[in-house]
Amino acid sequence: MLLEVAHLDAFYGDFQALEDITMAVDSGESVAFLGANGAGKTTFLRCLTGLIERKRGTITFAGGDISHMSVETIARRGIALAPEGRMLFPSLNVEENLQMGGLSRRRGYWNLQRIYELFPLLAERRLQMPNRLSGGQQGLVAIGRALMANPTLLLCDEISLGLDPLAVEQIYASFTAIRLEGTATVLVEQDVRRASSTTDRIYCLLEGRVTLHSESRRLDTDELTRAYFGT
Amino acid sequence: MVWIGTVINGVLLGGLYGLFGVGLALVFGVTRIVNIMHGEFIALSAFIALGISTVLPNAHPLLLVVPVMIASFALGYVLQALFVNRSMRLPDPLAPLLLTFGLSIVTRNLMIEAFGVNPRSIHQGDFAQLSIDVCGVQIGVLPLVTLALAVVLFVTLQLVLRRTKIGRIVRATADNSEVVRLMGVRPSSVYSIVMGFSFALAGVAGLMLALRTTFTPFSGVERLLISFEVVVMGGLGSFWGAMLGGIALGVAQLVGLRINPNSGFLYANLVFFVVVLLRPNGLFGARQ
Repeated sequence: MLLEVAHLDAFYGDFQALEDITMAVDSGESVAFLGANGAGKTTFLRCLTGLIERKRGTITFAGGDISHMSVETIARRGIALAPEGRMLFPSLNVEENLQMGGLSRRRGYWNLQRIYELFPLLAERRLQMPNRLSGGQQGLVAIGRALMANPTLLLCDEISLGLDPLAVEQIYASFTAIRLEGTATVLVEQDVRRASSTTDRIYCLLEGRVTLHSESRRLDTDELTRAYFGT
Repeated sequence: MVWIGTVINGVLLGGLYGLFGVGLALVFGVTRIVNIMHGEFIALSAFIALGISTVLPNAHPLLLVVPVMIASFALGYVLQALFVNRSMRLPDPLAPLLLTFGLSIVTRNLMIEAFGVNPRSIHQGDFAQLSIDVCGVQIGVLPLVTLALAVVLFVTLQLVLRRTKIGRIVRATADNSEVVRLMGVRPSSVYSIVMGFSFALAGVAGLMLALRTTFTPFSGVERLLISFEVVVMGGLGSFWGAMLGGIALGVAQLVGLRINPNSGFLYANLVFFVVVLLRPNGLFGARQ
């Protein structure tokens, strides 16, 4: 297994945001985390990147325990995040944003030229500032920036949230190319249909707990509804 | 003609004031820290320059710029790495401010202990006394060189921030210090480099101050006020705003002294007051 999470608890102050999460992702596999707002999906991704320090349990990545490693070290080990809200650097143009992703100098398939081949639109807009781009285009930059690190595990946090269907289509189409290069992906989503049609497996979160784990193609809609809403 | 000369000299003095402020603006723009130590460091740099000039008594004053900048950069880097970065990890946003306040008191007293309170000056040939005659207006060579140096440093700083990899990392860190960590960048290392740059700029300001006038360990406190006025007038974090703010203060001060020789810094303060009243965000608005 590339990533193994065992009995993970996470806290914001006294509030327990995640409880006993156990999950795994294999190399090259794609996994979706589904759940309503506040279910703990973003918190889970933040735990994986080291951004949340108050946690219990173990996170093993590529054979090493990363539970207590710093965000920077985890990034250099090959976990990249396309964060919620895309979080591009507003004072850097598109190309500079992408170059920031390549700072960890991990070797691999992805470089500036290949990102532009994957998203030709970004090549045209490479000198524009992020605030001049549409939400969809910003999403492409966020994914491109994460890919520039040549991660073995790519985390995407609601990357399609609030985007028009065409932009979402383009983003999801890129995941196929990304998987072809052997990168495992964890997608956090609210869009159940799209997530289950793109990924191998899904986990459903409710109030910080895993309420369902299933292969995407065997997903039972009623079961998912119960797991998603807790009814 | 006298008034033209006064305004020109005010503009040239503004170069020095711009140098006072730009380091403060840089640190604030990237780390959001108000560095109370900045003034003390200008004074300390004057002493560093004095020390280097005694070792190299025959060197041209402008050749001192390089060693002073290197020494100042190192000091700023170490200070940030050892102390200020730690205070930034505390939950209280006031901690770095209080720390730099404390460090300024410690630095001032260490300077008093080491160098005494008598006014010092650097005598490096007659460079500081040279002047040129432009259509009947006497213009000091040192102020002219100071302004030119300030412009060169501002342009260089701008180029470093816009065109280089480290500049890109500094801008990204200023934008979002959490997201850069996801790219493997330690914000604390970036802050140390930025404080080094800031001190290097303050170092040049200290050297130019030392060449221009006498100084004591207390010279920093007065310069801190000027630095703040320059930064606030320019618009927090804006470099060219700092330059413009410096020039406005310089002109106001010299014109004020021409009107009333006892006015000191009064007219400059009044100009500052009016600018802040009319444009609370400064001449150049928000951070660039």
